[in-house]
Amino acid sequence: MRAQNQRGHAMIELAVSAGVMVACLAGTVQFGYTFYVYNQLVTAVGNGGRYAAMRTYRASVPSDIEKGRAAIRNMVVFGDSRPAPGVVPQVANLKPEQVQVDWVMDESGKPAAVNVSIIDYTVDAAFGMFRFTGKPAVEYPFVGRFAPAESEP
Amino acid sequence: MRVRQKGFVLIAMSVAMVVMLAVMGLAFDFGRIYIARNEAQVFTDAAAMAAASKLDGTDAGLDHARQAVAKLPMRWNLGTKSFTGVVVEFSPDKQSWARVTAPDNQVEISFLRAVGGPAVFTVPAHSVAAAKPVRLVE
Repeated sequence: MRAQNQRGHAMIELAVSAGVMVACLAGTVQFGYTFYVYNQLVTAVGNGGRYAAMRTYRASVPSDIEKGRAAIRNMVVFGDSRPAPGVVPQVANLKPEQVQVDWVMDESGKPAAVNVSIIDYTVDAAFGMFRFTGKPAVEYPFVGRFAPAESEP
Repeated sequence: MRVRQKGFVLIAMSVAMVVMLAVMGLAFDFGRIYIARNEAQVFTDAAAMAAASKLDGTDAGLDHARQAVAKLPMRWNLGTKSFTGVVVEFSPDKQSWARVTAPDNQVEISFLRAVGGPAVFTVPAHSVAAAKPVRLVE
């Protein structure tokens, strides 16, 4: 009777402690990976914002502005404004469409600053999902060359 | 013998819990610290560029530079807290460079405190930018 009792205790103890341990481990993996990805996103938008800030702003036709945006998005995602086909993104599953580039214009119609942010990106951290919209975000002042009459190559 | 056996799970659990807290602390607290550091660095990079771009050798230029830094919307702590105590310094000639320091970004420590870590960890960042920036040909 006593021996049976003890075995029951051991099983309950194992069940309780294993439950706690697994929950802790799952949380650690989930948050650890999410933070890791978020940190990569911060680096990516920071680099993209810096690139956008120093890049030549060309606007002879509206599609030039869009081409410029595409180059900035590529810089965020691939670390390269013109990535070779098949290049892997720097952050898992990040796509150029998930990067938002907004120019802030001054009164004279010149770009004054650029906002780069991540929209609608989901981190799949095995035990849970986190969705980031609007963050991380950076704003860089525009310090590049303003060339409204030139067209994007 | 029975007395020893009864205590074993308790001891094993407490040792495992301490180790577990340390591991969780490494993942959670260090994760947040690294993010805060990175966010602060990106902020000071942008702020130094914003400040340096306003410099023109006059005191008004310095004011504009300080305003440009204060106007930046960037935040830290996973994009939730605004930067406080930001220091903006300039070259003596008021037109060569600007230096921005974000000195007191204090990350609150959650798990590492339980195993002897500090309550807060400060992650400062600073950047210098030249008034005549490098421009990309691209």
